[in-house]
Amino acid sequence: MNVELLTLSEIVDVEGDAGNFTIKVKKKSRYVDTDKCIACGLCAEKCPKKVDDEFNANMGKRKAIYIKYGQSVPLKYAIDPDNCIYLTRGKCRACEKFCPTGAINFDDKEEIVSINVGAVILAPGFKAFDPSGLDCYGYGIIPDVVTSLEYERMLSAGGPFQGHLVRPSDHTEPKKIAWLQCVGSRNTNQCKNGYCSNVCCMYAIKQAMVTSEHLSGEGTEQSIFYMDIRSHGKEFERYYENARKGDVQFIQARPHTIDPGKNNNGVIMRYTNTEGRQIVKEFDLAVLSVGLEAPEDAPQLAEKFKIELNHYGFAKTKDFNPVSTIRPGVFVTGAFQAPKDIPQSVTEASTAAAEAARILSASRGSLTKTKTYPPENDVKDQVPSIGVFICSCGINIANTVDVHALAEYAKDLPYVSFVDNNLFTCSADTQAIIAEKIKEHKLNRIVIAACTPRTHEPLFQDTLKEASLNGYLVEMVNIRNQNSWVHQKEPEKATQKAKDQVWMGVARVAKNYPLDQISVNVVRKALVIGGGLAGMNSALALADQGYDCILIENNDRLGGNAWFLNHTYKGEPIRPMLEKIIDKVENNEKINVIKNAQLLSVQGSIGNFSSEIQADNEKINVNYGVAVVATGAKESRPAEYMYGKDDRIMTHLEFDAAVRNNNNEIKKAKSAVFIQCVGSRDEKRPYCSRVCCTHAVESAIFLKTVNPEMNVYILYRDMRTYGDREDLYKKARDLGVLFIRFNRNDKPEVSIENNEIYVKVYEPVVQLPVKLYADFLILAAAIVPNKNDELVELYKCGVNQDGFLNEAHPKLKPVDMPVDGLFVAGMCNYPKPVDESIAQGLAAASRAGVILSRDKMKLDAIKSMVTDKCDGCALCVDACPYNAIKLEHDSEKTGKSYVVSDPALCRGCGICEATCPKGGIIVHGFTTEQIQAQVDAALTNQLIY
Amino acid sequence: MIEIQIGKLAEKFSVHRNTVSNWIKSGKLAARPTIAKRYLIDEAELIRFCDQFDIPKDFIGEFEKNDNHFAQNSSVQKKISGKNPLKQNPFAPEQTGVNTRQNNNEVTMTDKPTGSVMVVGGGIAGMQATLDLAESGYRVYMIEKSAGIGGAMAQLDKTFPTNDCAM
Repeated sequence: MNVELLTLSEIVDVEGDAGNFTIKVKKKSRYVDTDKCIACGLCAEKCPKKVDDEFNANMGKRKAIYIKYGQSVPLKYAIDPDNCIYLTRGKCRACEKFCPTGAINFDDKEEIVSINVGAVILAPGFKAFDPSGLDCYGYGIIPDVVTSLEYERMLSAGGPFQGHLVRPSDHTEPKKIAWLQCVGSRNTNQCKNGYCSNVCCMYAIKQAMVTSEHLSGEGTEQSIFYMDIRSHGKEFERYYENARKGDVQFIQARPHTIDPGKNNNGVIMRYTNTEGRQIVKEFDLAVLSVGLEAPEDAPQLAEKFKIELNHYGFAKTKDFNPVSTIRPGVFVTGAFQAPKDIPQSVTEASTAAAEAARILSASRGSLTKTKTYPPENDVKDQVPSIGVFICSCGINIANTVDVHALAEYAKDLPYVSFVDNNLFTCSADTQAIIAEKIKEHKLNRIVIAACTPRTHEPLFQDTLKEASLNGYLVEMVNIRNQNSWVHQKEPEKATQKAKDQVWMGVARVAKNYPLDQISVNVVRKALVIGGGLAGMNSALALADQGYDCILIENNDRLGGNAWFLNHTYKGEPIRPMLEKIIDKVENNEKINVIKNAQLLSVQGSIGNFSSEIQADNEKINVNYGVAVVATGAKESRPAEYMYGKDDRIMTHLEFDAAVRNNNNEIKKAKSAVFIQCVGSRDEKRPYCSRVCCTHAVESAIFLKTVNPEMNVYILYRDMRTYGDREDLYKKARDLGVLFIRFNRNDKPEVSIENNEIYVKVYEPVVQLPVKLYADFLILAAAIVPNKNDELVELYKCGVNQDGFLNEAHPKLKPVDMPVDGLFVAGMCNYPKPVDESIAQGLAAASRAGVILSRDKMKLDAIKSMVTDKCDGCALCVDACPYNAIKLEHDSEKTGKSYVVSDPALCRGCGICEATCPKGGIIVHGFTTEQIQAQVDAALTNQLIY
Repeated sequence: MIEIQIGKLAEKFSVHRNTVSNWIKSGKLAARPTIAKRYLIDEAELIRFCDQFDIPKDFIGEFEKNDNHFAQNSSVQKKISGKNPLKQNPFAPEQTGVNTRQNNNEVTMTDKPTGSVMVVGGGIAGMQATLDLAESGYRVYMIEKSAGIGGAMAQLDKTFPTNDCAM
């Protein structure tokens, strides 16, 4: 409600400075009145003009009046003025004739509005590379060559082929599919994109894995042609290994030509394999893994906002200020800053939000409104009067389930007074209809037969509250995910199942009663655990937003790993910046730094935690509303390659220290050898340490610069210089650094002979083993997380198999932790370079700020409650995974024992209720009575009242 | 600049809202549209208009107070009041009163930034930034080039490693 969405809009002009910009925005005509449009789709049905659908990568057709996609926000049609017959040729107006609400307005004029804001965040995204210019791949000429984005639409249930995988040429199912990596990335020959697009390896693997679910029968084959597989994100390497073990073939080659197959169906691909042989192979379909380019309007946007772009056209930023531009108050985020994946985009979106919030904190809350609801009607003792709303979800449900038969059936169910079918029950206009029907038919319980409550329950609860009903009187029945999607081939049985599901919902909702949300006071203070770059930046951003912070560090100095590093990958010196940040943190009056600190205990939950901290010789008690966990990681000690046997065999951090100490031996050396993936990407640690490839390349460049005569070798498995780090890789090769690829099963061998270090490795290009002399051997030791066991135990949060702290959702909540009120930042989450650690630290401050910005916080009302049947047997105390239940003894009055549940800690999981043998504890919203009614409805087809 | 809603202005003038719309359309009252069906009017223009039709101007303060975030810097305001033809007007004392108040507002304005943010782009990054800010006490204007938000992620079928539906 504090968001104003302006679609079909673009920036015209920008004036003013940070804190007070005036921005002129051009709102183009939509030709549809969004207040009147109910998204019934009649206009699009009647519109005679078919246009290529850009949402479906131009593979399907849409009409000249359209919505982008079924779940589009706002779900309002728009007329495309370049294709509308009336707007181009002056005749037609069919949509206007058929629109039932008179929403079409051909007189709609574009307007320029002027908006006053304190800060700007630019997130225009990216443009997928267009491979039409690369004639060797035949894209646009050979029908069975598609881009990865087109393939994504081909796989999608909402795509041009409704999720049935068929190839474009003859609409048959392709059996053999090839992916070609690095199309329009890492290519300075046919295009100017020297950078790595960062995401293509992973999406190609994902597409191949999803494809194997689509394809059935013999003879299927998914091959990925790659240069280096770059699976450097959290859990990515494991996914890659699974794909390798599964059906997906990985072929290291760059096909140079694609020819059309027989009768123009399929493709014939030519490439040279690693042994130097020419191979000609047929595939049914070729997918070009196209890279990410800066958006087309990036130069104009940069000009209007007076910000700088880098040589690839992406927004220019610094490693220590990863989302800031040269213009104060203007921040950039997402793929506009550099090609990046979803988790990184989501993280850095929060980073940008943190930066905006820290300059505007003085005016926080000055322009926002809070939502108020009408007073609730007390319906507790009323006879249930149930309204059932059945969603078609466009065609998602209606194609499989007979929604009208379902509605007829629902009408005869007990207590049901009203039944309605909706195209999209979740659309804004349907909310108005639901509210109206609640009033009209005096409904006091609602069943929504649609999709999952995980995404949509809050929306419907809101609708009920608007209509003076308690939000917990709605029950969602998932006839999409649990029905139409999984029973597509059996529509009749699916309809029967939907009937049962609706009956179960009705039976249950009849037993629902109003619940009150508990509100807790928020302690507007944050605890930051870990004083490295991530933790310090988080604390600073929180302090700048006006919140008090306690920063605890288990060492006697702040700074963490940054003390051991020399430069960021962009070449910014780390030490001076680090000292500046430490100085700022220590002198910030809102930040209380406690060194040599240890967290001893944790009580409470989101909004109100309390902890005891051991610092030097004293114990300190602190109270806080949120915590940012940034406990960091460290370089491991290698267990191979003769590490520890000779001082000249060192890790990357030891090498950096030697460089800092001006070790002349290094500069005078004749030969230096780097070995990558030492202890990473193996059986023990099946993850990529992300930073080592870039650091090795940087170090090699340094050596070649100080001493061009030196022989520098990098022995690697896959070079993972993602994004514009690829420039460094290219520079190293230009300087003469030799890169030798080795295989995990054929690792280099290190020997010390006559006090000289030698490395034996198989050289795949000359196909012979070679023996390299090394004055220095630098090992890329894996990054391992610091010990988090105690922390995990105290907060009940979790780590992944590799010991890195988990986030709440790998894509959409990469900074939140699974425990509410906790946020994760820096390397304790996953190995990452300086810029990404800082970005995540700031992002955590933004996410924490969401909670700290309010005095009170409402919690869900689904909580456990102890009844008078409790006799204090305490079975539930041990069963509760959240420590929410305590055993108490009333010695004065009754002498009996009983349990007490803390609503702030209870998560409503229901384990206690299931454990209790006598109904001594229940969970609101999931009482035995409610579940019983639901089960009876499912099993006996008879309601028991 | 004063931000007005047509309905409110019509109330003050005791005319129908359409009449005010017509004044604006015909150029009798110079105003430019801004978001949410509101209009921006130069204070001087509003005063001129009131004088032209002998309407009391004391309500102007109310509008101005409500929407001080649209106030501009003082030099511009002074220029406008300098040009004001109403200086010899019998209502002049009131007029200066209005201006002083406005100037006071401006002093606080330069101290405090505007509590709103513009997010350009409605993809996953833009949406996350918007949600963070809107939930922590800032008003957000989200500018999207196309007819709906969602960006590139909405086009994806599934996302790894969980193979969740991208939607």
